[in-house]
Formats: sequence, C-alpha cells, structure tokens
Amino acid sequence: MTEILERATPPATKAPKRKYPYYVINPCETDRVERFLEAFAAILTYSNYRPVLDQYSSASAKCSRCTATCPVFEVTGDPRDIPCYRTNLLLKTYKRHFTIRGWFQAKLTGEPGLTDADIDEMAELFYRCTACRRCRTECPLGIDHALMTHLGRWILSELRIVPKGLEISVIEQLHGKSGNTSAILPHTLVDTLEFLEEEIEEMLGLKMKFPVDQMDREYVFFPAVSDFLMEPETLMGNLATIYAAGGNDDWTIGTGYFDGINYGLFYSDHVLERVIQKVVAETTRLRGRKILIGECGHASRSAHDFVPVFGGDKNYPVVNIMEYTHQMLEAGRLDLDPTVVTERVTYHDPCNIARSGWIVDQPREILRAFCPNFVEMQPHGTANYCCGGGGGTVSVDEIHDFRMEIAGKKKADQIRATGAKYVVTPCANCKKQLRELVEHYKLDAEIVGLHDLILKAIRIPGMKRMQEGGQEGAA
Amino acid sequence: MSEFTMEIDGVSLPLDEDGFLQEPDLWNEKVAQAFAAPEGIEGELTEEHWNVINYLREYYLKNQIAPMIRRLCKETGCNIKKIYELFPSGPAKGACKLAGLPKPTGCV
Repeated sequence: MTEILERATPPATKAPKRKYPYYVINPCETDRVERFLEAFAAILTYSNYRPVLDQYSSASAKCSRCTATCPVFEVTGDPRDIPCYRTNLLLKTYKRHFTIRGWFQAKLTGEPGLTDADIDEMAELFYRCTACRRCRTECPLGIDHALMTHLGRWILSELRIVPKGLEISVIEQLHGKSGNTSAILPHTLVDTLEFLEEEIEEMLGLKMKFPVDQMDREYVFFPAVSDFLMEPETLMGNLATIYAAGGNDDWTIGTGYFDGINYGLFYSDHVLERVIQKVVAETTRLRGRKILIGECGHASRSAHDFVPVFGGDKNYPVVNIMEYTHQMLEAGRLDLDPTVVTERVTYHDPCNIARSGWIVDQPREILRAFCPNFVEMQPHGTANYCCGGGGGTVSVDEIHDFRMEIAGKKKADQIRATGAKYVVTPCANCKKQLRELVEHYKLDAEIVGLHDLILKAIRIPGMKRMQEGGQEGAA
Repeated sequence: MSEFTMEIDGVSLPLDEDGFLQEPDLWNEKVAQAFAAPEGIEGELTEEHWNVINYLREYYLKNQIAPMIRRLCKETGCNIKKIYELFPSGPAKGACKLAGLPKPTGCV
C-alpha cells in the first residue's frame, strides 16, 4: 500500500453543501482532502500511474506550447484553461504528498499541501477539458494532458464528484436491469431491429435481417447503444453494407450485451475495465472471433486499446465498422452510386480514432468513392479540432453553454467555412454535439453518419429503391 | 426525497433537476397538462398532443424507454416538423417529459 507521506493540514472540517458546475449524486461533502489523498494512494498502489507521474513531474516545463493547440484556451484565453496549468494541479499534489523530495521541500517552505479549494478547482477544470489530446501532438516533452484529465477525474469520482449524466448511465450499465447505458431491454432491441428491417425493405425493396444471437460468427457487433434510439440510418447503412458485401453470415448482435459505450474511458479505469469485460464476455458467449465496433470514436478506442489490457486471455482483435467497409470497398464488393450524393460533403474526425492516426484515410477513401463534391476542413485528420463535446462532456446537458460558446466554437467556424451540406461524422458523441452546434449557430448543414450516406447511394443486385414520397425508382 | 417536486391534487411528485418526473408510475393526465405551459405549450392540450403522448406512454409501459424518433413519427403520423410545432422543446425534452418518461441516459 502506498503511504501518504504527510497528511494534509489543516484537517478538513465539515463543509456546507457545495456547488459543482454539473449535477452530482451524493458527492463526498466532508473530509474531502483526506479522502482525495486516500483515493490517490490506492490508485498509485494498484495501477501503473506512478512512473508516469514521476516522468511527467520531472518533464513538465510549463513551456505552454500547448496553448497553441487547445481549442478551449484559444477561445477563452484564460490561463486556467492552459493544459499545463490543469495538469499541474494533479502533479503538484502528487509531488507534495507522494514523493520524498516534495515532502522534504514542503518541510523547508511550509507549503501546506492539498486544500479544499484545489479540489473545487480540479472538479471544475478537469471538465473544461474535452480530452481531445490535440495538445499532446505539440508537447515537446510528450505529456498526455488528457491522461492527466482522466486520472484527475478518476480520483474525483472516488469521492463521487462526477457528472450525474455519466454516473447514472454507468450505474444502469453495470447494475441496471438492461445492462447498457441507454437502458434498452433485450426485447426492445429485437423489436427495434425488426422495425429497421421493415424500414429498409420499404426503402430498398429487399428483405435483410440483422443476425441476432448467432453463434460462431466472425464479428460480434457493438455499436454505441444510443444508435438504437437516435441513428436508424446509420444502423440500416451498417446492415445494407454488410449485406451487399456478402457478409451477412459473418456477424451477429448479441442480446446478452450490445453496448459499445464505455464512459470508463472518460473518468475511471475501474469502470473502463468492467465494461471491457462485458464486451469480452458476450463475444466469448457467442464464440465470436472479432469485436466489431459501430460508428463511435470513444467506443472504438476503448475497445481497441483496452481489450488487450483488461480482456484477460481473450485478446479479440477489435475492428471498427469503417475499417470493415473500407476493406469491402477495396475488394470490389461494394457498389456505390456516385450520382446520388452530389451536394458538398465534409468529414469531421472523431478525436478518439483520428488523433493516433488509426482511422483517418479509410473514411475519406470511402467518401471519395461516391461523393464527387468532398471537401476537407482545415486542419483535419490527426490535427483536427474536437467537436467540443469530447471526453463525456456531451452527456452533461448542464454545461451546454460551455460546449457551444467555448469548446465547440472552432468547430462551428470550420463547418461554416466548408459550406458543406452534409457533415459526416462516425461517432455518437460528435453527432450529438455537432447537431447542437448547428442549431446554436444556425448553420446550414446536416450532421450524418458515414453509413447514412452509404445507405443513400448503395446499389445491391435485385433492389428497387423507393424514392421520397413512395415512388419506385431505378435500381 | 428529491429537492424538486410538483404538487398535483395534494400529491407531491418528485422531479429531477431538469423537471422530468422521477417516478413514471405517478403520471396521470393532469401531470401532462401541468408540464405543458413550462414547455411552451399554451392552453389545453389538443387531440394531436394526446395522440403523441398516448403513443409514447404506451410504448414506454411496454419497453421502459422512449421509441426511436423515426418510429414515433411513423406510428403517430406526425413528421418531425409537426412534433416540434406541437412540442416546441422537442420530442425528448418536450413530448417525453409530458408523457411522464424519465430523462433518457447515455449518449442521447
């Protein structure tokens, strides 16, 4: 067990009920400093964060190169929004309370250590970061400020200082009857899939089935579960693509667990691990060979990066649906009509899949194959700007103004500059945030998923596409 | 006990921070009418409103969740524009709230 070298002084006293910038359920109200340090100590004991914190505390030069990259700081100009400043809130606490050197320095200088005011500042500032990791690309010392945001939020969450919008979703996912973040029961899932099958038949004149609970398939599919409420076109596009590529016997959706969303990535390794285990367990139950994630940035990154970490001996490969579609297009198994989507189209990169360079070119090659009027935002790809709702902030309605006026402002400017009719973004988080931006800034653009556009343009032998208004069109 | 409540016929109904009913079983038609004015609907709810509210209520009792908006539109015969005309704050924050559904969770 990691020892706290010196307890904080003065001892925390009973405080009045506090206000946070977001709703919280029963947060810790007393002895917060003590409990923060206890939680920090426990995390240091049972994780590998200590070497990272040692490295970061010796490297952080506060050179402020990150100021040139942070979309929040660019808009506010507030020194408290500089990534280095925010990260230092955690690093100084680490040095002061968990390193011999910091403890000794404090003996000489009389530095009092962590205070209640520091905790309030962390509770505010760690949720003014959208964890987009744009600053990481410019940091000369390689500091991942989003990782520090994540760790800071994790410690705070152990005091139950975590936005209600995130916490209630996780409670439903881990302990609720439905077992997923949107509280969709298995019979409702099946009912919804049947509804979508009817819709696609009306649209394309073809009977296609979502495979449910099929054993021994290549892929087990986990979309952001909210797609079953919000994104019918994306899901129908997923089905049409797989069907057209001849892969409908290669995949399945499991009624035991069907949610790709993992808010653990935003605020807690403990939650992250337990959600990954649910994904792995369902894949194992169905004897699947690969995990297929739908259109969602954080769902993709959490599975891609953490199935190898938390999946035990079941190290299933993780594939994003766009990788699959790209592969099928390259293999000549998809026929997309280039005369349907003639309006201007642009692509917004979800940070979680683009920043690392994992999925940047594939969706563009797909779009260029059938959208003759495709334009780029500047900058884009690994240097893209966050939608402004990353890191779970999009699920926190009460910080809507921050997401619109500050975090999402650069993105709204970018969208306006492209003059695009369709902004394609393959991510449940980004879609919600960008739709709110479009409404807030009165932009003349429609936010869609990549497979929504594919659904408009796909040609499948034997289909009879119904045009708007129920007229039969040419196949 | 919730910090936020609404009184209907002497019964105190707990609400969440955004004004959604916390116990959907306590819903009745008077609740829907009481929610109407704060959501920008003037006067008595019309038959068109009830058509949407009753569909949502029925779907909720079966599934403990709201339907897809696409489905709501199809089965009530109201397109999305019409839904916004009837419920200015939208299908989720307006119509679902009047139907006594709890606030949706997750990325919605």
